[in-house]
Amino acid sequence: MSLFLSGLRKLVRRRASWVTLALLAGLLSLIVIAVGATSNRPGASAMERAAILSLVTFPGAYDQILGFILGLGGLFAVIYGAAIAGSEWTWGTLKNAVARGQSRSRYTLLTFASVAAAIAIGLVITFVIGVIAALVGAGLAGVSTSGLTDTAAMGRLPEQFARGWLAIVEEGALGFTIATLARSQLAGIGAGIGLYFGESFAGIFLPDIVKYLPFNVANASLATQAADGGMGGGAQLASLDANLALALVVVWLIGSLLVAAVFTERAEITG
Amino acid sequence: MTNTGDLALATRGLRKSYGSHVALAGLDLSVPRGTVYGFLGPNGAGKTTTMRLLTGLIHPDAGSIELLGLPFGRGDRHRLYDVGALIESPSFYPFLSARQNLRELATNGAPVGAGRIEELLELTGLRDRAKDAVSTYSLGMKQRLGIAAALLSDPTLLLLDEPANGLDPAGIVAMRETLRHLAAIGKTVFVSSHLLAEVQQMADVVGIIAAGRLVREGLMQELLNAEGIVRVRVGLDEVAGAAAALAALTASGGVTSSTAEPGWISVRVRPDQSGEVNRVLAGAGIWATALETGNDLEMLFLELTGGAQAAGGEGTFFGMAGSRADPGAPGTTGTTGTGAAA
Ligand SMILES: Nc1ncnc2c1ncn2[C@@H]1O[C@H](COP(=O)(O)OP(=O)(O)O)[C@@H](O)[C@H]1O
Ligand SMILES: [Mg+2]
Repeated sequence: MSLFLSGLRKLVRRRASWVTLALLAGLLSLIVIAVGATSNRPGASAMERAAILSLVTFPGAYDQILGFILGLGGLFAVIYGAAIAGSEWTWGTLKNAVARGQSRSRYTLLTFASVAAAIAIGLVITFVIGVIAALVGAGLAGVSTSGLTDTAAMGRLPEQFARGWLAIVEEGALGFTIATLARSQLAGIGAGIGLYFGESFAGIFLPDIVKYLPFNVANASLATQAADGGMGGGAQLASLDANLALALVVVWLIGSLLVAAVFTERAEITG
Repeated sequence: MTNTGDLALATRGLRKSYGSHVALAGLDLSVPRGTVYGFLGPNGAGKTTTMRLLTGLIHPDAGSIELLGLPFGRGDRHRLYDVGALIESPSFYPFLSARQNLRELATNGAPVGAGRIEELLELTGLRDRAKDAVSTYSLGMKQRLGIAAALLSDPTLLLLDEPANGLDPAGIVAMRETLRHLAAIGKTVFVSSHLLAEVQQMADVVGIIAAGRLVREGLMQELLNAEGIVRVRVGLDEVAGAAAALAALTASGGVTSSTAEPGWISVRVRPDQSGEVNRVLAGAGIWATALETGNDLEMLFLELTGGAQAAGGEGTFFGMAGSRADPGAPGTTGTTGTGAAA
């Protein structure tokens, strides 16, 4: 427990955590507020207007905001996971822990557990900021915010959050594991980004295989209306049942953490 | 292993290769408890590799390790609870302060007593800067923090890999005093260095490693007093006479005249016998124009590092040690530092 809390303290004090959060929340707010501010521009067709305004019209806006966070959040999570795991090798702090008699796999897994917790915190903060931004946008656009307290939509939120969190955590684990294998922050981030875009690129040619790959199952597991083709969301391929996708997310998550733990356990630490 | 109970650290036949490169070729170390053990060796000798093996960061290809009287293998990480280590360069989270780094490090391994962190910050002179991010520290400050980290759980055995790197002279003196103090209260300090002078000033026992092998191990005082070499320079026509006179001072074969530097004669005697050498020469009516001494340890270490540290200075101490020294380039090594010209 103390190792987990220590991991969390380190993440909270780390600028990369706040930069990631600020970037995601900033982009989201910017878009949502800009939509609200420009929705009344003359010349927009009624359909365009409706599409744009769905972003700031509750309760639908809940789904839209979550879809945005989860879509872009996946890429951010890969980078973040890679940064955290890679820096343990790059800075030699893993070496310190191991030389003090710490278990390598325990250290690796609890470090990741703290990343997963940080992702949960980040998710909630970004969502709250997104909702506030949407309210501002709605005000600018002159849209009613009466849907904000829609009980049906709010009732769905916990499950959507849980699914979204798992999906992002899985994507973070992927970056985490890649950087562990690379034993380097920079190489891990580079390879993680490469894989993220590589997967969606490969999806053009091999949709039947790629739909089972980590980023795609993450998107498919979300079960928000905005998830497929939603703003910022990674394009989803041939449809995969959301629950099957969720199961695959868990498989990928556990699989990659296992790889990271076993690799760390066996590695020669010569940094 | 036999009779290792009084040893804080022992290795037997320790071997380690990185790929095809052999870093340790069968290392046998015996580090007595309660001593400062100077682990001396030129760059690339295998000091850091040894430290990594001793802390389970890497695993030996062959051979065994005993830490504090018990075998240390793959499943024995808990043995490290009694060990503190600083390996290669000090490693910390750059965005955390010294205090925060120590605090987070303390969540691993053996428990850390209350107040211990403040005590160590004080000891290493970092208290005034303890709140600043480590990324703003100088190399020497990071090194101090590394030493503090090694001391975190008040270890019985301390492993320090070139801890003096980057320290200022005051820092080196303070560190030396700290290490001496730790040995005095019964801890064992295993400290590596590539500088003889540094080890000479603090170690009770010294082990010299070169190319992955231990080439000498023993009490510092004994090695310093062991037979060394005194070199004298005489007129070219006096070499034969001088050699004959000096032969009385030493065992047969103990006198050699240098072919690379005509006029130079070396005699294997204890360093404190240099006056004797001079007297014998004078007795034979020969006046030395120059005289240099070097003890066994210095010479041995210079031989090991000689080629690499060649500074092209005046000193030609090595030219004469023909049979034992690097045969490559007589007269190219730097001055010995303690060798005094008459
Ligand atoms: N991670 C590594 N990979 C390959 N070779 C290494 C590695 N670390 C050390 N070596 C090699 O092993 C030898 C011993 O290195 P090291 O133990 O670091 O020496 P020292 O600490 O005495 O300077 C050197 O020849 C070095 O180049
Ligand atoms: Mg070294």
